[in-house]
Amino acid sequence: MLALNRSTLFSGFAAVMIPAAIGMVFFYAPLEKTMGSVQKIFYFHLPLALTAFLSFFVACISGIMYLRRRQRIWDARLAASVEIGVVLTTLVLITGSLWGRPIWNTWWTWDPRLTTSLILWFIFASCLILRSAIDEEGKRATFSAVLAIVGFLDVPIVFLSARLFRSIHPTVIRADSVGLESSMLLTLLVCMAAMLIFWAGLYKFRVSLYLQEAKVNDLQIDGTS
Amino acid sequence: MSENSPFLSISGLCKSYGSRVALRGIDLDLQRGEFLCLFGPNGAGKSTLLKIIATLLRPNAGQVRVQGYDLKEQPEQYRSRLGMVSHQSFVYQDLTVLENLEFYAALYGVEQPRQRALQLLEQVNLADRYDMPAANLSRGMQQRLTIARALVNDPALLLLDEPYTGLDEHAASVLREQLQILHDRKRTIIMVTHNLRRGMESATRLGILARGKLVYLQQKEAVDPSTFEQLYFRHLEAL
Amino acid sequence: MSSLRQVQFLLGKDLRIELRKKESLVSMAFFGALILVMLNIASGIGKQVAAENGAGILWVAIIFSSVLGLGRVFAREKENGCVAALLISPISAGEIYAAKALVNFTLMCLSELVLVPVFYVLFGAQLSFAPLSLLPILLLVNLGFSTTGTLISAISAGTRRNEVLLPILLFPLILPLTVLAVKATTAALAAKPFAIVLEQLEPMAAFCIIFTTAGYLLFPFAIRED
Repeated sequence: MLALNRSTLFSGFAAVMIPAAIGMVFFYAPLEKTMGSVQKIFYFHLPLALTAFLSFFVACISGIMYLRRRQRIWDARLAASVEIGVVLTTLVLITGSLWGRPIWNTWWTWDPRLTTSLILWFIFASCLILRSAIDEEGKRATFSAVLAIVGFLDVPIVFLSARLFRSIHPTVIRADSVGLESSMLLTLLVCMAAMLIFWAGLYKFRVSLYLQEAKVNDLQIDGTS
Repeated sequence: MSENSPFLSISGLCKSYGSRVALRGIDLDLQRGEFLCLFGPNGAGKSTLLKIIATLLRPNAGQVRVQGYDLKEQPEQYRSRLGMVSHQSFVYQDLTVLENLEFYAALYGVEQPRQRALQLLEQVNLADRYDMPAANLSRGMQQRLTIARALVNDPALLLLDEPYTGLDEHAASVLREQLQILHDRKRTIIMVTHNLRRGMESATRLGILARGKLVYLQQKEAVDPSTFEQLYFRHLEAL
Repeated sequence: MSSLRQVQFLLGKDLRIELRKKESLVSMAFFGALILVMLNIASGIGKQVAAENGAGILWVAIIFSSVLGLGRVFAREKENGCVAALLISPISAGEIYAAKALVNFTLMCLSELVLVPVFYVLFGAQLSFAPLSLLPILLLVNLGFSTTGTLISAISAGTRRNEVLLPILLFPLILPLTVLAVKATTAALAAKPFAIVLEQLEPMAAFCIIFTTAGYLLFPFAIRED
């Protein structure tokens, strides 16, 4: 019951935060000088990318924990985060393309960040395909855990290998300073918080849904044997 | 290690697949040289128990100790003296009969793999077919090859999972003969089957496994063969 | 009993079957050559390809054809439950992994002995022949592909859709290795100095080390039943 309460809490919170964030993007944040209104997509693009990466990180950790503990809950966490991660990465790629088209004059460029996102999308989408191909619960969990771990290991290598391409991707957060005006930064932070809460709610819902599905499955098996 | 400590000791063994429970706490001690036959209907957890003893599966709880060692501690050393016959033949179709045995003998670190392979082929009456690809063997011959394969390392513990299923008369008699030889040499044997007659033949101890529990375990001398079948069904109905 | 000897027995057994049946090697070389011919036609008859395109074509042919051999390695072990026989033998999962990766590595090297000459015959008119630059690239890709591939093929062989799943799961993982290999090969085919090739070889070696280690650690989970 606690999980349900918490997911209701998160989604209720997200229901307030996301409209507020959208409001801030359009009515509070100033218009960017060179890019104009197109730049506003950035307030969603960056938080989406962040939560997508977070999903894959959670998937990798869940994979490791599953292989150590062999508990269903870790498989549920892995399944939930991979699914959410694939959806979010899809949105990152779409928002990025929409932004890049008027600004870079191209839908797609082989920039390190774009390449990394795309390859991550392929890896974790393949993990979903793998899960759909296996019926036995234990095997499905073990195999997808292995794939989620190797998939996440690939991230630094993908980034490294794409580094040599010329980059036109803006770097917003540098080591020394933040390249944003303070009102823009505040909007970005609110968007980020909204997205994280939304992510947490979605994640909680998906995990509990997965566990319920598994329980229904158990009941069916018990009923037939 | 004292003389009386059991060769194989299983305690509190539990295994479940997801929420489906296969074993609910098995306790069992076997002395060296005993031949245990476990009976049980399909789905009683027989194969799961053998797979755990063979280190193919890991239990959720409980432990298996062989000669005082936990299975998890030195699996390689334990496996080098383990033999298994299962429903699958474990034979490479593209290798010849001799190559199959030689490969497994070498894998087990047998001193002279070829000699050992030839000797086993004599024992299972396959010596004249040594050069035949395993794929071309008749079913009965394949089964004899499977038996020879399991004996390649002269196992101290032999596990048999429904070994008589689908065996022809010749293969069955070869198996019986080989089991007798192993038993005479004080090898420990565990067989699971639902074939009561075959199981009773050579075992020294009888057990019944039902719904993941060991519901009956007795020395064979203490069992009246004529009433064992009734006993078996009574135990199954009791659940 | 040293583990090296057991790896050797397992490797010897697989290569003996391969030598007898030649199923993997023949299909790999044949399919690879077929891809090369198709890409030659696709890139325009009578036209010369630049080093960049040539490198891409070579690696598409090698990687697509190598998947065929990879799929067979575990399918053969699964046939009569031989995987279980190996798992209850004194050989450890790590040794099985090493042996299988070596089998794949050998098969890839042998098929490249056919594919690289075919590539030069079809596309080589304008390209520089640089065996000393090409050899380390080929070897590193073979290593990375076979170690990652062995792990993934153990997974895909455990499902009911082995042939379909293997490339779907494997290609995204080895994409970075492929990208680096194409870049290195481009430099080699354009007769650039070895220092430029070396720039790509270093991250490739890093890929091989990371995935060999990960594969070795994760393989027991992929091969065991529980």
